[in-house]
Amino acid sequence: MSAEINQHVAGKTVNHIIHFEVAQFLTREARALDEERYHEWLDEMITKDISYQLPTEEVRYRRDKKVIGTAQTTYLYNDSYEVLCMRVARFDTGFLWAEDPPIRIRRYITNVDASWADTPDEVDVWSNFIVYRSRGQRDDSTMYGRRKDRLRKVDGTWRLAARVITLDQRVILDKNVHCFF
Amino acid sequence: MKAIKQLIQQDGAIQDRSIYWDEEVYQKEMEHIFARCWLFLTHDSVIPETGDYQVTTMGEDNVIVARQKDGGLKAFLNSCTHRGNYVCFSEGGNARSFVCPYHGWAFGIDGALDDVPLEEQAYFNDIDKKSLGLRQIRVESYKGFIFGTFDEEAPSLIDYLGGMAWYMDSFMDVPGGMELIGPPMKSILNCNWKNPSENFVGDGYHVGWAHASALQIAGGALEKMKGLNDYDPASGLQVTVPEGHGFGVIWDAAAALHPGPPGVAYQKWLDKRSPAVREIVGETREKFYNGHWDATIFPNCSFLYGTNTFKVWQPRGPREIEVFTWTLVEKEMPEELKQMIHADNMLTFGTAGILESDDGENFENCTHSNRGYSTRQGSLYLGMAKGRERTDPEMPGLVSDGWVNESSTRGMYRRWAELMEGRSWDELSKTAKTDSQA
Repeated sequence: MSAEINQHVAGKTVNHIIHFEVAQFLTREARALDEERYHEWLDEMITKDISYQLPTEEVRYRRDKKVIGTAQTTYLYNDSYEVLCMRVARFDTGFLWAEDPPIRIRRYITNVDASWADTPDEVDVWSNFIVYRSRGQRDDSTMYGRRKDRLRKVDGTWRLAARVITLDQRVILDKNVHCFF
Repeated sequence: MKAIKQLIQQDGAIQDRSIYWDEEVYQKEMEHIFARCWLFLTHDSVIPETGDYQVTTMGEDNVIVARQKDGGLKAFLNSCTHRGNYVCFSEGGNARSFVCPYHGWAFGIDGALDDVPLEEQAYFNDIDKKSLGLRQIRVESYKGFIFGTFDEEAPSLIDYLGGMAWYMDSFMDVPGGMELIGPPMKSILNCNWKNPSENFVGDGYHVGWAHASALQIAGGALEKMKGLNDYDPASGLQVTVPEGHGFGVIWDAAAALHPGPPGVAYQKWLDKRSPAVREIVGETREKFYNGHWDATIFPNCSFLYGTNTFKVWQPRGPREIEVFTWTLVEKEMPEELKQMIHADNMLTFGTAGILESDDGENFENCTHSNRGYSTRQGSLYLGMAKGRERTDPEMPGLVSDGWVNESSTRGMYRRWAELMEGRSWDELSKTAKTDSQA
């Protein structure tokens, strides 16, 4: 393997080795979350300066781009590392009645595309997802969307440094989005 | 359907379970409550300029509310008078007209029918466009909060709000007033609309138990409520007004659900504003300004003043609602503080909020247990602190000590029953007088 094809050029599609590492990371991350290994996720898979966001988008006419009134971006998630830790701490309290019995969550990550970012050792990664949740006996929902991630290689391992999630629903057709995507 | 007297008994303390499940009850609610009451539409701050509009629902009726050229407001049905199609498919924006995509009928931002394609060649100029405007809806606003009603006989919005307006002025009368930050979050809950309305109007009881996990991690003033081991009835009170609105207040806790630096910044703001608030609304209401409220404006508009979440529970059948959530802030707050409050609101009572997810499950399951025929024959009990309500020389409505209370919940169901009986607004205002002397 020549060094040349591994070269970091901003905007350039990563080679098959990096692509494999990135796809592998996303798969492992999804499995860790599916299995509720939240502390492992916080400690080993994301960076301390992470930005974790899920903005909402209004249903508007294509021609009408005017931002009206106080409208800005409303984020369902707009979390720092500390806020993500707080959410995880809530799982640990033992008082989270809504998730006891546990919810079954399965994440399917597809359409992975990765390019070198404008910072060394960082890649931009696009992926689509399906998140299936099942509660109790037969209460279930499926959510579809995409993510734009920034991964950073820290000490030889990829970590999630930023994630912007887009859900393909304006009215969330479920009681909450209280799960990590 | 049973008689209303059987559905709500003992001054609102007993509810027949069928009211959370039956299609027939729901359809009567659409007729007697949602087609008659003042329903929250939007806020001045959301549609400030000519042509700005929002699409929302009143009951299940789709409506447009738009800012007019003269600065006034109009609201009308979002349904073409030709074949009934919607004339607007965006949830908001800025428009000069609303054009139906079916045959091209064009309506102005005032809802008037302005243009009909082929008016001359196909209608032979024989069409009375004046009578074919979109159906107008009465619209009034209270200090920037815009409401609509389908009922021409309904009292003015200020009379409809009754004593609740006096209390809400505690924060609405601050210099500059209040505003809502959007766009709203939207999600569904598979529950009856009354479950969240009653929760916000007066369920302080659930806070320490249902939200135990969130209170533990948030810390602060409310953490001692966790697990319902500790509570001081002198720490707040509940209020119900005869119009069905009501709230509970926890003294000096406005910023309680803003842990960390945002809470410190918000408390600083409250302390700075308090002298001006006292000057404007007096000492009693300064206390309300610094308290944390859970409140419902009957029937389906709820808010938490302090946490500053502002919600509408849009009915979608007896067992489903759409939840719209905005953030309530003082207009004169610094932008940075507004953003912190907005972020905290999303973290606590947003669609991914750490308190919202506790409530959603409870609301849904309180509705769905009534699926069982035999379960549904039973009734439910809201008897906490019954008979302890009192009138107050200064504070309107009925006041009851303790924010863990069910006084304002009973008040909501009393009003529900009065409306469901089909009483006229005249009769209702007479009842209001008797109720407030109860």
